[in-house]
Amino acid sequence: MKTKLLLLLLLAGFVSAGAFSTHIIHAQEAPKRIEITAKRFAYEPGEITLKKGQPVVLVIKSLDVAHGLRFRELNLNAKINKGGSAELPLTPDKTGDFVAHCSVFCGSGHGGMMLTLHVVD
Amino acid sequence: MRPPQITIAAICLLGLAGCKASPPSRFETSTITFAKHHIFIGNKDQKNPIPYTHQNWEDGKEAFSHYCVACHGTDGQNTGVPFIDHISPPIPSLASAEVQRYTDGQLKWILDNGIRPSGMPGSQGTLSDDELWSIVVYLRHLPPAGSQGTPEMYTH
Repeated sequence: MKTKLLLLLLLAGFVSAGAFSTHIIHAQEAPKRIEITAKRFAYEPGEITLKKGQPVVLVIKSLDVAHGLRFRELNLNAKINKGGSAELPLTPDKTGDFVAHCSVFCGSGHGGMMLTLHVVD
Repeated sequence: MRPPQITIAAICLLGLAGCKASPPSRFETSTITFAKHHIFIGNKDQKNPIPYTHQNWEDGKEAFSHYCVACHGTDGQNTGVPFIDHISPPIPSLASAEVQRYTDGQLKWILDNGIRPSGMPGSQGTLSDDELWSIVVYLRHLPPAGSQGTPEMYTH
């Protein structure tokens, strides 16, 4: 009888734990996806604004040659193959303005290719 | 053509004949070196915002490889540059005292603006500020001469 009760309690525990974890999965929002195109020698859009703590995925597509997107201050870097795309997950943990540069040499205007990220509360 | 015009043309041709590329004398070299260090090259006091770390050195080496290597070699000491003995004014080794005596700010100024009319071009806009400062890090810690081999562009 005691064993049956224990097994019943164990089963109830598993069921409630499963239900709870499912609840957590449902509660998590999928990170917002922000599309950015990279083309000699600019990103489109050239500025984006995010909320502090908000997880996002930057989806960067190259329309021509290989490019990169590097936030030195945030220690983030993505490289995008010629005509391809790359994803850069990002959860800003401090407010301010952060400038990213192209991190793959792409020609004469490479040094001026930048994207500004505004992080607000 | 009237005689005075012939005379003027002859003088111009003589002047041009004096412009052939030949190695500068020691006097020319020391005068120009002094002028560059003390008059022409500005930005003496700016500090490099990028500290020396292995990663920043690697970044500098990569940025340097985009086109600096065509004239300076991968090691910054002209290794493998095929025209190194046929150019005037000569391209200095970047490890030389003449170059290393520049402050970090002056090296950045040279990378930004170039040195006219030496043939050294400016890179402002072509490379980002971050990349240019990381090149300064690389210049301060150049690898041993010859250790990097011939630049790839000259190997095929």
